[in-house]
Amino acid sequence: MTMSPHNAPIVEPVPVEDPYAPPKGMDRVVDHLKREWQLYVMLLPLIIWLLLFLYKPMYGLQVAFKDYSIFKGVANSPWIGFEHFETLFGNDQFIRAIRNTVIISFWTLVIGFPVPILLALMFNEILNATYKKWSQTIVYLPHFISSVIIAGIVITAFSPSAGIVNTFLGWFGVEPIYFLTKAEWFRPIFVGTGIWQEAGFQSIVYLAAIAGVSPTLYESAVVDGASRWQMMWKITIPSIMTTIIIMLIIRIGNILEVSFEMIILLYQPATYETADVVNTFIYRQGLQAGQYDFAAAAGLFNAVIAFVLVISANALSRRYSRTSLW
Amino acid sequence: MTNMNLYSRNDKMFVYLNMFLVGVFTLSTLYPFIYIAALSFSSGFEARAGNVVLTPVDATIAAYKQVLSEPAFWRSYLNTFIYTIGGTLMSLAFIIPGAYALSRPQLYGRRFWNLMVAFTMWFNAGLIPFFLNMRDLGLLDSYFGIIIGFAVNGFNVILMRNFFEGVPSSFEEAARMDGANEFQVLWKVYMPLAKPAIATIALFCIVSRWNGFFWAMVLLQDQEKVPLQVYLRHTIAKLSDDQEFSVTLIDAPYSVETVTAAIIVCSIIPVLLVYPFLQKYFNKGIMLGGVKE
Amino acid sequence: MRKLSLLSGLLLTTGLAAPALSDGHLQIVDEPLTLTIQMNHKRYPTYQEDWPVEQAARAMTGISLQDATVGANITSDQENTGKTEALNLMLASGAIPDIVGSSRLKDFVNQFGPEGAFIPLNDLIDEHAPNLKAFFESRPEIANAISAADGNMYYIPYLPDGKYGRAFFIRYDWLDKLGLEVPQTVQEYEDVLVAFRDGDPNGNGLKDEIPYFARQWPEMIRLVTLWDGRSSGSDTYHDFYVDDGQLKHPYAGEGYREGIKNLARWYEMGLIDAEVFTRGSSSRDYLLSENLGGATHDWFASTSGYNTSLADKVDGFAFKAFAPPASISGVRMEEHRRIPIKPDGWAIGHTNEHPVETIKYFDFWFTEEGRRLANFGVEGEHYTMVDGAPVFTDEVLNSDQPVNNQLYGIGAQLQARGYFQDYEYEKQWSNKFALEGIALYDEGDYLIDQFLGVAFNTDEQKVYDKSWGSIRDYMLERQQAWILGTGDVEADWDDYMATLNQMGLQDVLGVMQSAYERQYGG
Repeated sequence: MTMSPHNAPIVEPVPVEDPYAPPKGMDRVVDHLKREWQLYVMLLPLIIWLLLFLYKPMYGLQVAFKDYSIFKGVANSPWIGFEHFETLFGNDQFIRAIRNTVIISFWTLVIGFPVPILLALMFNEILNATYKKWSQTIVYLPHFISSVIIAGIVITAFSPSAGIVNTFLGWFGVEPIYFLTKAEWFRPIFVGTGIWQEAGFQSIVYLAAIAGVSPTLYESAVVDGASRWQMMWKITIPSIMTTIIIMLIIRIGNILEVSFEMIILLYQPATYETADVVNTFIYRQGLQAGQYDFAAAAGLFNAVIAFVLVISANALSRRYSRTSLW
Repeated sequence: MTNMNLYSRNDKMFVYLNMFLVGVFTLSTLYPFIYIAALSFSSGFEARAGNVVLTPVDATIAAYKQVLSEPAFWRSYLNTFIYTIGGTLMSLAFIIPGAYALSRPQLYGRRFWNLMVAFTMWFNAGLIPFFLNMRDLGLLDSYFGIIIGFAVNGFNVILMRNFFEGVPSSFEEAARMDGANEFQVLWKVYMPLAKPAIATIALFCIVSRWNGFFWAMVLLQDQEKVPLQVYLRHTIAKLSDDQEFSVTLIDAPYSVETVTAAIIVCSIIPVLLVYPFLQKYFNKGIMLGGVKE
Repeated sequence: MRKLSLLSGLLLTTGLAAPALSDGHLQIVDEPLTLTIQMNHKRYPTYQEDWPVEQAARAMTGISLQDATVGANITSDQENTGKTEALNLMLASGAIPDIVGSSRLKDFVNQFGPEGAFIPLNDLIDEHAPNLKAFFESRPEIANAISAADGNMYYIPYLPDGKYGRAFFIRYDWLDKLGLEVPQTVQEYEDVLVAFRDGDPNGNGLKDEIPYFARQWPEMIRLVTLWDGRSSGSDTYHDFYVDDGQLKHPYAGEGYREGIKNLARWYEMGLIDAEVFTRGSSSRDYLLSENLGGATHDWFASTSGYNTSLADKVDGFAFKAFAPPASISGVRMEEHRRIPIKPDGWAIGHTNEHPVETIKYFDFWFTEEGRRLANFGVEGEHYTMVDGAPVFTDEVLNSDQPVNNQLYGIGAQLQARGYFQDYEYEKQWSNKFALEGIALYDEGDYLIDQFLGVAFNTDEQKVYDKSWGSIRDYMLERQQAWILGTGDVEADWDDYMATLNQMGLQDVLGVMQSAYERQYGG
């Protein structure tokens, strides 16, 4: 391999120099731009778009620290410092909601993150093209069906009188359980439903990554007498590792995001104890419509925590796997 | 390598067990669709009473008659196609070149630019500032506003960039030797190699456009411009209101449940058709292209 | 050109006859005046100039409205919060139309009116709106109820007519079959439900009957009235109530404690649907059509309708209203009634240059002609006068579309308009079983006064916002736990009350009380 500057290694290299350091001397800048101006032309539309549509309105984040009146506008609303945050953290139920959010997210991550990967690997091992095509198409269907309908199916499935789950348990002599009013059952049901609904769709990104693996690797492995199982472990998984890591970092950043719509549909006062998350708490407090300042404070808290987690995960990953978001 | 004779007994066991497990999972995920289809062909009363489980009860096509005879349904269906196709092309036009540039190690400030993209995944301005910004840009109540206003999504950019980074550099060397510039390298070397990635990003764009309703709801005033998902929500709101307060609708052959199900079935069909089309790009061996590492 | 629904399109062609009815005595302006309007409601997301009712109003008053609705497409499933969102966008965009009509308007105008976004109406009404003035003088409690914390009125509400909402329903045919009388007391009610459970009234040989069910589980909680408890003071669940001038919360009362204890017992005994918390809206259709459900508490109109629709399906089906059983202290009370004012209606934006003409226009809808127009549509087209009273035409009554749907289609019964509903409009197409039931309730006079809400000032609002949401959550968590048997109300009660007070219940009641006294004059 020649060390041409145009080489893009499989994973990002540890930079030889600090990329933020200004180039030494204007000549270098001019020289660089002369040579690489095309890259900046490609990048420019994206950056302009981000500035125009996402960064420009971000002045709105300041309402988290204001007593915001829509009528007065952001600029004319008075500052109130951390009052919204104090209100939030002074509420025991908010603290409980944070705890629930983290626990639910944790289980979704630990159980739910590997499932789409596993599914993609399993699809990859199916040789019958028709079977593969149909099953792939079907597993991603639940993603298109609204939460209301999925929740309806879940409620029916777990019903004590007619539900398939209790019917099944009945064969083993278990008395019917009213699952959806039992705090201890809420998280398994919710996490399970989410995985089942989204695994197919989430597996697509891994299928695409697997499709990018060079077939020559498998060909030589077959020649060496490797089994399917060995090839999966030795070739496929290492080849899609960067994708897995990128997805994992992003997922860690979403640890405070829980499907709010589904929780609203499945929870009961009887299960608030384990089911109430930050979003549902804010919704129920009647703060979703109009109280933008309060919602912004909660959102900002959420984003800051998420971002700190992502920065840490990114730094670790950069160090140990040389894969990173930035 | 797709020849079964190459496999040992253990491999065959592994293959069949795998097929069985995938089959069970697939069947379970098929159920919601079967349920919705059954619901859409059932009578309003039976659907509302929750008597539909697997097959239509008291079968009727009343819900479809109701849905398909409404011009607003077709109009919103067309709109969804406009937003989906226009929006996806727009997204790819921003994301592919941008992600390519971000993947090049010689780009100055590369970490900064990537961080700038990633930052938007967690921090956003909120409803009112975003709305006012769109208004100031003159993009309220317009097809173009919806298409351009949601063109870029940080996740898709990073995913695309990651795919580009994964392409071994050996692929582009021949092109470089021939004096190709960055545009040519992207177009002739990377784009063909990144087909699975582009198909994935395209699929994500299509799906989010197809399912998206929130911003269309907020930014569009004109009923003529709304996508199917917004139309669906209007229909549900109206019919459930009717059902709550009108005695006469107890006996109607359709209900909010069956009409909703019929609209969902209609909206899923194009999605069912587009996936197999993109799926061929997920097949192994796409990166062959005559160059070997 | 907007697309019209088939119905309004048909009616449009005939609606043009309206000007003939106008002799000019309702004319507000000599020169035609156009005002902009935000009109947003789930049934009609924008204002339609070609509604026949609007054409008639235009001809009578000389004032035309022009649609300027922001956020027309915003819908939301729960609680209709999307309409608040639309109002917020309208306000944020800085262009407040001359008239703002919407559902969920009350809290919005009462917050932003005092900030200057809307024009206070009191003086305008006094000087220019004789009909509105007369109405508010005859119903001072309504004038009080819609006022903001600064004492001003900022909107003219939609005022529903008709008192009756929900009622106790029971299977009369099951009673007959088991040789039972209609229960008159809570004890008899319990005995009947036990008989429904054990006596196989549906005759299928299985013990599958569900004696009491409810589409909304708080309707089951409402049964605490049978033990002299309360569940809500208004048509919103879990609301405060007024007891002899004192604001109280129903879930902190002795009657409630007794009621929950007994409801938990009923639930344990299988008298209440075991799945009451999750069965949801399908329960009424399912349990009635499958001949399983025995009694409920639900709307007069829609519940009575099953007598017709299930007549062929369930032999002898008779599911009719019965008088509220007497409580343990002998009180017969129907806690639910239609609220006399809705938070829907319309207001005048602060940039309106014609506030006098606008209030006169609002007043027009409270004239006899205007009210009839808002309720029944256009005379000669949708209704005719019979013995001095409006009666819907046969085309309207016999259409395959529900009457209220047709009325929305022509611009009548628009709840984003401030008007006084006339119950007669509904009575003309109500199910006969519903009317029988209403007559029964009318005779016994079981309804009680409702709490119409208070408008907080900023300090009161802060106290309320800080504590109330959490207190309510806690109350509901305990409530369900007690019913489900995971807690014992008797054992938990003292702790429960202590926790409520510790969470700030007394502070919340304090600000409710001060706001109430300010608003309703103690």
